[in-house]
Amino acid sequence: MAVEIPTELEDLPTSKPHWIGREVKRVEDPSLVTGRTEFIDDVVLPRMLHCAILRSPFAHARISKIDTREAEALPGVLAVVTGEDALRWSYPAVTAPEGWGTHCIATDKARYVGEPVAAVAATSRYVAEDAIELITVDYEPLQAVADPFEAMKEGSPLVIEEKGSNVMLQRTFTWGDVDEAFAAADHVFSEKFRWNRVGANPTETFGAICEWDPMDLNLTVRGSIQSASNFGLGRVATFGLPSNRVNIISYAHGGSFGGKGGTRGTDVACLLSRKAGGRPVKWIEDRMEYLTAGGSQAWDRHYEASIAVRADGVVTGLRVKLVNDIGATGEGFGAINTAKPLAAFTGPYTIAVAQYDLTLTASNKLPESPCRGMGPPPHFFVLEQMMDIAARALDVDPAEFRRRNFIRADQFPYTIPSGNEYDSGSYEEVLDKALELAGYAELRRQQAEALEQGRLLGIGVASAIEPGVFDLNVYSVVGMQGTGVPEGATVSIDILGMVTVRVGFTLEGQGQYTLVSQIIADYFGVEMDSVRIAPLDTRSAPPSFGPGGSRLGVAITGAVLGACERIREKMAIVTAGLMQTEPANIELMDGRFRVKGVPGAEMTVAEVAGTMLARSDLLPPGIDPRPEATHVWTAPGRAPVDEEGRTKSYLTAAQAVHVVLVEIDRETGQVEILKYCLCDDCGTRLNPATVEGQTDGSVVQGIGAALLEEYAYDDEAQPLSTTFMEYLLPTINDVPLIEKVAVVTPSPFAPLGAKGCGEGAMHTTPAAVMCAVNDALAQLGTRATEVPAAPHRVWKLIREANEKPQGA
Amino acid sequence: MKPARFDYAAPGSLAEAVTLLAQSGEDEAKILAGGQSLMPLLNMRLARPQLLVDVSGLAELDYIREQGAGLAIGAMTTKRALEQSELVKRRQPLLHAATVLIGHPQIRNRGTIGGSMAQADPAAEYPAVALAMDAELVVQGPDGERCIKAEDFFVTYLTTALEPAEILSEVRVPELPAGTGWSFREVARRHGDFAVAGAAVTLRLEAGRCADTRIVVFGVGDRALRVDEAEQLVDGEAPTSGLFERAGTKLSEVIEEPLSDLHASADYRRDLARVLTQRGLAEAASRAS
Repeated sequence: MAVEIPTELEDLPTSKPHWIGREVKRVEDPSLVTGRTEFIDDVVLPRMLHCAILRSPFAHARISKIDTREAEALPGVLAVVTGEDALRWSYPAVTAPEGWGTHCIATDKARYVGEPVAAVAATSRYVAEDAIELITVDYEPLQAVADPFEAMKEGSPLVIEEKGSNVMLQRTFTWGDVDEAFAAADHVFSEKFRWNRVGANPTETFGAICEWDPMDLNLTVRGSIQSASNFGLGRVATFGLPSNRVNIISYAHGGSFGGKGGTRGTDVACLLSRKAGGRPVKWIEDRMEYLTAGGSQAWDRHYEASIAVRADGVVTGLRVKLVNDIGATGEGFGAINTAKPLAAFTGPYTIAVAQYDLTLTASNKLPESPCRGMGPPPHFFVLEQMMDIAARALDVDPAEFRRRNFIRADQFPYTIPSGNEYDSGSYEEVLDKALELAGYAELRRQQAEALEQGRLLGIGVASAIEPGVFDLNVYSVVGMQGTGVPEGATVSIDILGMVTVRVGFTLEGQGQYTLVSQIIADYFGVEMDSVRIAPLDTRSAPPSFGPGGSRLGVAITGAVLGACERIREKMAIVTAGLMQTEPANIELMDGRFRVKGVPGAEMTVAEVAGTMLARSDLLPPGIDPRPEATHVWTAPGRAPVDEEGRTKSYLTAAQAVHVVLVEIDRETGQVEILKYCLCDDCGTRLNPATVEGQTDGSVVQGIGAALLEEYAYDDEAQPLSTTFMEYLLPTINDVPLIEKVAVVTPSPFAPLGAKGCGEGAMHTTPAAVMCAVNDALAQLGTRATEVPAAPHRVWKLIREANEKPQGA
Repeated sequence: MKPARFDYAAPGSLAEAVTLLAQSGEDEAKILAGGQSLMPLLNMRLARPQLLVDVSGLAELDYIREQGAGLAIGAMTTKRALEQSELVKRRQPLLHAATVLIGHPQIRNRGTIGGSMAQADPAAEYPAVALAMDAELVVQGPDGERCIKAEDFFVTYLTTALEPAEILSEVRVPELPAGTGWSFREVARRHGDFAVAGAAVTLRLEAGRCADTRIVVFGVGDRALRVDEAEQLVDGEAPTSGLFERAGTKLSEVIEEPLSDLHASADYRRDLARVLTQRGLAEAASRAS
């Protein structure tokens, strides 16, 4: 049965939506704020053991001997595993690019600080941590590599010897005649940039309870798992199990932002459970494990960029060269962070041709993981600095410079050189509203006035695209398997008209249970409170990918609407039978199935459902009597990737303009954000409060990346950011009031016109803050090209600028 | 992140706590006050005491009293209590200004003045206050009580003049002489972090000239440092921006090579000490009469 998913609010069977588009209270919250939601660390199973992992203190070292006897003898210890067990019972991790995986416990050598070397299952975490101190490991330290350019040199230590090189991938994508564009340009501007490692930091670290059933060979993993079905496939591959013998039960989790990978610890705990005769083994990653050895790190990047610009300020070409240090292995899928920029390579601009020279290298740092934004945020930081460099050189106001290069509202759908199609947008309108909100002209006046007083103010105006609703197809350019990400929902109406929706994901913070309740309530004309969401394990759930890639809000809307449409069709047949008419004469409106043109001839949804389940005597012959349906939604119009990596990869393209005012203390190098204004357009706002919450959180994350956060390593690849005293997250004191305004340009392709908005401001904020910093520094004739713009870096730039002879 | 096994004692009196310490071997026992530094060290197994002597519940060490013209503060007085004390706000504005720069309300609710002094973190605010205010630290040991001047108390990184069986019981902060201007400033990566560098300054004006200038910088050496050379340069001179600039420069020239870490190079710290001294002098002078 072909199901048509409504793309406009007007298509819903309601005279006026009561719930969708309103700032409804989140159905998740009462349980969360009263502490009743169960998280993985709350779960206690009978005979459960606790895991502690012994980790390598060396970035690169051969392991010549491990002695676990003393640990095994400690009372309370049930199992100890080492690389030998991993070799016997598991396979190397699946990776992107392919073939860059290792076992979950080091088998011959440790490749980064924090890599598991052995692990213990004991009656408590205390005993387990006592026991790992009793394991003696003989290490032969090897020379470590901590820099991608060193890693690429002949004779560099090899992270994975069998590969014969540290280069994981080298590929140049060329879209259009780039050489011609640069040759014909009136101006070419080039600059190098450095984006230091940052990453996701959810409130809750990763945790899992692993249970290996030795009789039936079933593996059950409970955990704070973001994408349960993909996670399950990973375990299938690691342990060589049939896919229906691995069951993943995802618990509500305290955020993820891409950091809830947790695969190493899970696999280690699985091995321990097997060795302990199938007893469940709990592993709760502690914060130091998360920061140094978890899914915490992403985007360790070195950039060289050039833009070709015409005399009239139109940008005609873009070249970006990226060297990304992925870390020791490809297991965290950090590489796909470098593929996503293809979905929005030229940002909101009409730049006609572009080139992407991409190199991924291995080092003795932690393998990289996904992080909110999945790669474009550093790319947009680079692109937006280049736009400002050009604007400044041409003496054009940065807002005006962007306006000249924006894709116009009448050009959508618009295909960018790197192949993705943007669905819709009104970029100039967004720019105008952002400038108006910020009082842009007044800010420029303040800036000039401040300069006369010797104060250094800077204004950043930046714009970026948030590609929403991903498909895996574009990630195949870095060797990621799989082409689709289905999202399913089963909507079930019971005999009393109450609605249950079964889904394959759990609470992560984005308010999707609320969203599902809103849609059902408006579709069937019931109260939101009549809807319950049942998250299912991977063995029971409809096909599901879960949250990720700014897609779940849109995807679950499509799935739920699809299931609702299927139920409506069934119920129309039942109602037609009861009303002695044809199904074509029945319509659903405001919760009632009614005969068109016959006032009063109608039944409520509950009455129809009750009839279907209780009165088989009244049903038309051959009808499926369940008031229930499952729909699995995938994005429409997807296509295979061509030889230059081009494809329609993301269904929606949200856009935003951020305007930031900063002041730099020219003696201490401290950057203070004085004003933060933004306008964004993510299409229909299904729950505006949720969108606003996502935006606020994402701005904060972006400020962290621009000014504070950094996973630093020394030359020996020893991590220096091992606690929150070194890895600095923004606190409430570091975050300005965020003033927001919205434009709504619905997507013509997405359910109800909503665009992906979960990653949101992270795409624009680091660029905007750095544009502001550089607008200030430009007054001293210098610029910051490295993030975070920590005070010691800004101080050094200012000092060097002061020392430069005038006019040089 | 679970601590290694330890014994725990919660003595009912200061005397009992001292006895417990005296009975333990050197380095076997640790004193637990607010736990804001010790608990993470225990959980990371960087501190592995056999015995933890918890003095945080000793009411006899929790007070803020007037003593002559100064204040006597019990070692277990929390930073939050100091922050909220009208007496401290009125009589010890520099101490109050330093207190609100420490951590966040949750940390100040638990952290104590005694714990902070005894921890002697070189980037912490309270040792700098003690030095700038010429505070005295009262300690109790097996042989009774002794009083240590702040300049003798802080020895080096995380090290004080406390003997193994001694407990810091009270901090005595003298009153600032009438007309004294003060300043307490720091540069931290975020509000509430340990300072990258900081400066505490007090000075008086005598017939339009600076007098009794005290300059303490912290976060730049192995402990908070009083810098005589810079003070001497200021005393007896008219309070001008040029003078304060010279004093800042002088200070940055005479201090030893500061620590270099992730958040700041040695050069940056040295320059921050200069800037903060200069700004601190100007602020103190503006408050002096």
